Amino acid sequence: MEIVISQQALIYLFSAACLLICLGIIISLLFLKSNKFAKNSGLIIILISTVIFALISSYVLLKNIPLSFTSYEISPLLKISFFVDRLAAFFILVISIISFCVALYSFDYVNHYENPKKRNLLVFFMSSFIISMILVVCSKTTFAFLFFWEIMSLSSFFLVMFNFEKEETKKAGLFYFIMTQLSTVFLFIAFLILAIQKKNFLIDATLFSSPILLAIFLSCLLVGFCIKAGVVPFHKWLPYAHPASPSNISALMSGVMIKVAIYGIIRFFMLYNSSLFFGILILCIGTISAILGVIYALKEHDIKRLLAYHSIENIGIILIGFGLYIIFETNNLYALATLSLIAALFHTLNHALFKSLLFLTAGSVIMETKTKNIEEMGGLIKQMPYTGFFFLIGAISICALPPFNGFVSEFMIFESFLKSSALVSPMLKLLLIICVSIFALMSALAAACFVKAFSITFLAAPRSEHARHAKEVPFLMLLSNAILAGLCFVLGVYSYPIFSLFGLNLPVPNLMIVGIITGIIFIAAYIFFLVFASKKERVPETWGCGINTQTPAMEYTASGFSEPIVTIFRGIYRTKKEVHKEYYDNKNCIVKEGNAEISLFNFFELYIYMPVVNFFSKVSDLFCKMQNGNLDAYILYALFGIVFLFIYIGWFT
Amino acid sequence: MSADITYFVLFCILNTLFAVLISPFFISLIKKVKAYCQGRRGPSLFQTYYNLFKLLKKETVYSNKSSFIMRIAPYINLIFTITAGICVPLIFIPNTNFFVGSVILFLYLLGMAKFFMAVAGLDGASTFGGMGSSREMTISSIIEPVIILIFVAFAYVLHTTDIHQMITVSSNIGGILFVKPALFPLLIALFIVLIVESMRVPIDNPETHLELTMVHEAMILEQSGKNLFMMELSSAIKQTILMAVLINIFFPFGFAKTLTFSSALIAMVWFFLKSCILCIVIGLFESSFAKLRLFRVPHFFVLAFFLSILTIIFEVFA
Repeated sequence: MEIVISQQALIYLFSAACLLICLGIIISLLFLKSNKFAKNSGLIIILISTVIFALISSYVLLKNIPLSFTSYEISPLLKISFFVDRLAAFFILVISIISFCVALYSFDYVNHYENPKKRNLLVFFMSSFIISMILVVCSKTTFAFLFFWEIMSLSSFFLVMFNFEKEETKKAGLFYFIMTQLSTVFLFIAFLILAIQKKNFLIDATLFSSPILLAIFLSCLLVGFCIKAGVVPFHKWLPYAHPASPSNISALMSGVMIKVAIYGIIRFFMLYNSSLFFGILILCIGTISAILGVIYALKEHDIKRLLAYHSIENIGIILIGFGLYIIFETNNLYALATLSLIAALFHTLNHALFKSLLFLTAGSVIMETKTKNIEEMGGLIKQMPYTGFFFLIGAISICALPPFNGFVSEFMIFESFLKSSALVSPMLKLLLIICVSIFALMSALAAACFVKAFSITFLAAPRSEHARHAKEVPFLMLLSNAILAGLCFVLGVYSYPIFSLFGLNLPVPNLMIVGIITGIIFIAAYIFFLVFASKKERVPETWGCGINTQTPAMEYTASGFSEPIVTIFRGIYRTKKEVHKEYYDNKNCIVKEGNAEISLFNFFELYIYMPVVNFFSKVSDLFCKMQNGNLDAYILYALFGIVFLFIYIGWFT
Repeated sequence: MSADITYFVLFCILNTLFAVLISPFFISLIKKVKAYCQGRRGPSLFQTYYNLFKLLKKETVYSNKSSFIMRIAPYINLIFTITAGICVPLIFIPNTNFFVGSVILFLYLLGMAKFFMAVAGLDGASTFGGMGSSREMTISSIIEPVIILIFVAFAYVLHTTDIHQMITVSSNIGGILFVKPALFPLLIALFIVLIVESMRVPIDNPETHLELTMVHEAMILEQSGKNLFMMELSSAIKQTILMAVLINIFFPFGFAKTLTFSSALIAMVWFFLKSCILCIVIGLFESSFAKLRLFRVPHFFVLAFFLSILTIIFEVFA
């Protein structure tokens, strides 16, 4: 049966959903002091409107009918108008799925904030955050884009600052605020250049008069979006902001907000770029982000920072896919270009799903154990079996293991790398080969990292009192996790039919067949062991090398687990180990006393961030001296200004 | 089309059964070769079968600290290893394989098996299991770029990313190594990968149970009974299919062209003979090296990395 909905009806529906969320925002602000009402109604409104958004966007995605409408006109030039094509619809779909699950999760999650006002505020900022992200994605003018972009940045800043009582939150909030405003500055410059070129604010294809201007425009865009997406070397705000903010907000920021920046890159580079250079650049920064992200993640024991570093890695993977798209497109290899573009987009969806799943389950764990340090967890799978199981699914998906969704997108990127022999330029081939080997290393290290993250958190014996007394979280939180985990599985196993539904014929393995084969083998193996194997079982204490009782202190720790990898990559971590020993004898055999010191060297902060900060503080010192508060000094400046103007007019006119 | 599906199903059954039944033999054969090198007579060639049979009849011991992961991990490990076996044809190549022969799928199916093995290693709350998992994950992540580079080289030379097609192309041109002798470094690199992935000396010693030198054995130390059976069998199968990748791409002789009883039998004998030779080489190789320190292992990989990138550079600029 064919369902046909007119464009106008879709537009009305879209506006209705927007207004609904605005209603939710107003309600949560009006009834700020209410105990349950504002929170529940706000969240229910988010649930309803995200469902509407998801339906509209999937309809647009399937039927490929773009929507375009203007909602508000300040002046004929300054319009707030919207445009939903397939690309925007895809991102709206991602945002609404994740927002739906996060809202579902938040019903019970926000209850651990004692103050009802705080709970209602969280819902208020969450609603404005979600709607601003959706509206950024479907903005048709740069004016609207920047407007909603700023609302998105500000509401997310308030959400990061939510636990403002803590000292670390203040630092994180400030860091995040500066980075996010810096990103807006670059976007502003880029959009100004665009406005000068086009004489209007529309986002559509234009011919640039000079290639230099185009290059400056694209570089500014790239820097602006990369700061927001957390690409190395602009990544530092992620590992600060995520541990500080509430877990449901981390899920939204990591799952969706950084994807909005990816949307910006894809949208503008598809419209304006036609040079190979930016393809290579994006590929390179993607590769560097991917590998550094996972290498830093391996060292982390704070579960949210670990996940934050994995976001950096996955953004890198998405950029690798998009960089490959530009490279293949400019070399006229259209089939490969489509493959890598779909890989980048599909990985965007997949990363949103499994990363928000991981952040939400991590949030449940943190709520129960009251700590973020995985060294103080352990054994949680017995107290929280469902949470543990969902975290495991997230971990398998992010490690790109079949048959889950992460595998399919990484497979497509590998496939486009492996088929790069069709390229002509040998240097380009060489670059791609270096990138693919780094990509492979990254993917394997991610698996090592999630073996650590899952096992130390959930397996073996509990390492602290809190971990011993953890309880399973309420049903709605589990339900939201279950939806995300289910989607991870479905998008993996049914990826082939889903791609054909959208008319894409891609060389991906049909994981359904693999799944059927695996299932048959499992049944055969199960029957074999049922019939032939001994059924005797014993559950004793773990063997502790002769010690009767095994304590948690004897388990392998997270630092122990990652130690070999940390040692191998010590050049990248810049860890300094200093050991001083004094001996009783002159042959240096019997140790008298000694001390050891391990210091971490914070490369990015020391060599990239601080010089910039120092430069600007020096400049502002200079201005500070000028603005000294003396009226006569200001009059003097005015005098100088007037004299200067006279001289200027006298000479140049 | 339906004939193709029948062929594919037949292929899956034959390939899997053959791999499962034959692989324990190769483990014993390598042991025998090593024993001869050390001047011993060594165990019987069927010793691994006896061991497996013994394990099947033993009781299974679970630690009281362990969870359901310990119970499902051996199953997942075994079935995903067997599924990976379908990516590599041993005796005949079906016309269509529904894209399941892809290199990346093959590697990641093995990765899934390894992931669960490593997670189960940490489940028992014992010190050894964690140590083994940590070391195994380290080694396998460092070797990963080499493996990918080898297959990139194959993809460049043979213009396909599917192992089934790689073997077909190679057998059509009469053995890739004989047409392009320049690919010899790739053979060495693949051999190194085989040694590393099946956890043999100089990376790891499959015979040791000394706590400081164990890698793979430490990881499965907590396993017992039928679970240990699954772990042992899956590492035997993994070794066989990795050997098959090397043998069938470089020396693709004796495949059954049409599937009849006699041709399949001949193909099996061919594969058996070729693998026996490779096992003897592995045994000799193992006997002539000492185990490397863990942090020396990356140096060994760099050799393989260098060889495979050398081959690719030849290919790219040729």
